[in-house]
Amino acid sequence: MAGHGQLLSPCKNLEEDLVLFHYGELPAPEHFSLEQHLSGCANCTAYLKDLSALMPLTIKTDDPPETFWLDYNRELRHKIAATRDKSWWPAKFGAFFQPRLLTAFGAIAVIAVALTLTLGKGVWQSRDLPREDEALMEVLPMAEDLDFFKTMDVLDNLDVLEFMASPEGAA
Amino acid sequence: MRTGDEELVAAAQEGNQQAFEELVERHKQKAYHIAFDFCRDREDAKDLSQEAFLKAFVNLKKFDGRSSFYTWFYRILVNLCLDYKRRLKRSPTDSFDETLENQMERSHEPNRPRSPDQQVLAGQISRKVDVALQALPAKQRTAFLLKNHQGLSIKEIAELMQTAEGTVKVHLHRAVTALRHSLAEFV
Repeated sequence: MAGHGQLLSPCKNLEEDLVLFHYGELPAPEHFSLEQHLSGCANCTAYLKDLSALMPLTIKTDDPPETFWLDYNRELRHKIAATRDKSWWPAKFGAFFQPRLLTAFGAIAVIAVALTLTLGKGVWQSRDLPREDEALMEVLPMAEDLDFFKTMDVLDNLDVLEFMASPEGAA
Repeated sequence: MRTGDEELVAAAQEGNQQAFEELVERHKQKAYHIAFDFCRDREDAKDLSQEAFLKAFVNLKKFDGRSSFYTWFYRILVNLCLDYKRRLKRSPTDSFDETLENQMERSHEPNRPRSPDQQVLAGQISRKVDVALQALPAKQRTAFLLKNHQGLSIKEIAELMQTAEGTVKVHLHRAVTALRHSLAEFV
């Protein structure tokens, strides 16, 4: 196997194509023209032979026995189970903060606040008033009623005055 | 009819563990062999490939199907393998060459018995190849291993390495040229 270790240089501009040719990756047109070139170029042909001899040497195979694969599956199952257990809490907690849920939660919160402020306005106001104001609020309607009756009295008096000012009243 | 990877992924994303196990069953051997190409150690290759499956399992919900599961998964694996190499470089006590030599003897055990001369020559070649592979820059080595050892197409390698096909060709060409010079004595 061991040779003289002397390498022939291939045509510089074709070196990359030769590598692709070796791996069967050279597209059809280039493949055809390279084949034509190879028929007349000893160095490029030698380069391809080198690749065919050397590249397989770099491959190391490992074919583990059946028991290895049984252990492999068992171990992997345990690792996955351990990961799942470990990630359960953060996952659930994290799920709560997912953008979509967070938006929905925000919208619900805004609606709830708006409804509370709108519907519970009276309740909130009466609760927020100080004790003296509360008493005033109770008296105020009564006072308003009083004003009303006073106005009615004035109106009554106006009728009397008008009557007195008229010719019938004067008579 | 065999279920496609994408259907299994969809089922696994819904929480079907059997579907994920089927994906493991389909890809474990190839994943193991790719990892072995990088680390040349049976236990490390097992750990690396299992770690890739674990990462895939944890991140499966994030897999959006823009690439195939195959590409997505092997990208995870190759990145882990490259990280492994970087970690090894940082810890000189855990010598890659030592691991490699021990492992190479084991990995060749199933082959036919060889004469002492053949064994010596095989050992020499093995060591030389390993040193030559280790001397390659990470991207060249990745492109070379995926092409030469795994037989992936240039297109697949480009997807895995998230680079252009032309770049992969350049990496491959440089790797092959360097290896040819390093192994010239065996021509």
